[in-house]
Amino acid sequence: MSNRPTCLELCKLLRDAALIVLLATVAGAAINGRLLWQVWSGRTVISSESLPVGELLPMPVSLPELKSLPAGEVLLLDARGRDLYLQGHLPAARNLPWGEIETLLEAFRNEVPVDRSLVIYCSGYGCEDSFLLAQRLMVEGYADVRVFEGGLPEWQDAGLPVEEGQP
Amino acid sequence: MKNLKPILYHFCRLLLGGLFVYAGVVKALDPTGFAGEIANYQILPYRLNFLVATTLPFVELLAGLLLVINCKVRSATLVIGGLNLVFMLALSSLLVRGLDIDCGCFRPGAHTSVQAALWRDAGLMVLAIVTFFGSDRRRA
Repeated sequence: MSNRPTCLELCKLLRDAALIVLLATVAGAAINGRLLWQVWSGRTVISSESLPVGELLPMPVSLPELKSLPAGEVLLLDARGRDLYLQGHLPAARNLPWGEIETLLEAFRNEVPVDRSLVIYCSGYGCEDSFLLAQRLMVEGYADVRVFEGGLPEWQDAGLPVEEGQP
Repeated sequence: MKNLKPILYHFCRLLLGGLFVYAGVVKALDPTGFAGEIANYQILPYRLNFLVATTLPFVELLAGLLLVINCKVRSATLVIGGLNLVFMLALSSLLVRGLDIDCGCFRPGAHTSVQAALWRDAGLMVLAIVTFFGSDRRRA
C-alpha cells in the first residue's frame, strides 16, 4: 500500500481540497452575484428575458414591503394549485390557480373590482405562475398588480404564520 | 494484471470527472431551478438554498475538470468524495422523513427515486476510492 498518503501528504491534500472548494465557491458566487443580490434584497428572481417581450410587467414586492402593508390594503392571491393552497398559504390569501384561470376568471372579475390592489405569489424559486397570472390580470384591466416573488417559501422561512384550508 | 491497474484508474478518473463536469454544467445553467430542488429537501433556509445552488455546481465543475485533465487528482477526488458523502446523507434523510422528491442530482426535472440515487452515489464512491488510491502520489 505504498500509495497510501502520509500524514503530511494528507494535510497538503486537505489544504488543496479546501482551496478547490474556496475557489469554485467564490467563482460561483461572483458569476451569480446579481441573482444572490436579488435574493438577499428580497427582489424579483425571474429575469424579465424569460417572459414574453412587449407584455406588461408587474412590479415586484419584497417581503419587508409586503409585511409593512396594512391588513386589507391589498388582496393576496395564491397562484398555485388548489391542493397546495389548502396545505398552507399566506393568511387571508385567496386561491386563483394559474392553471384554471380560464374557468375562474369571470367569477373573479365579477367579485373583485379592477381598482383593487393585488399581490400575487406562488412557490418561489423561479415559479412563473404568479408572473403569468399578474400579466393576465393586468391585461384584464387590473392596474395595481404586484408579485411577491419569494412566495410561500420566503414567507415561511421568515417564521411568519401560514393558514391552512380556506381563509 | 499489472497493465490493468492504470487502465482501471484512468477509466474511473475520466468517468467520475466527466459525470461531475456534466452535473455541474447542467445545474450551473439553471441556478434558480436548482435552488427549488434543494428547497425540496427541506433542510436549508430560503436564502441558503440559493447560495448553495449558485456555488455547489462550480465546485462539482472544477473538481470534475481537474480529474479529467489529470491534475491535483487526489485533492479533487477528496472534494468529490466529500460532496458524495453529503449527498448520501441528504438522500438518507429523505428516506427517514418519508419525503419522495426528485433528487436534483443531474438534470432538473429528471425523476430518479431516492433509492436509485443512493445506489448511484454508492457507485460514485467506489469510483472515487479507486481513483484516489490508483493515482500517482507524485502527481497528486
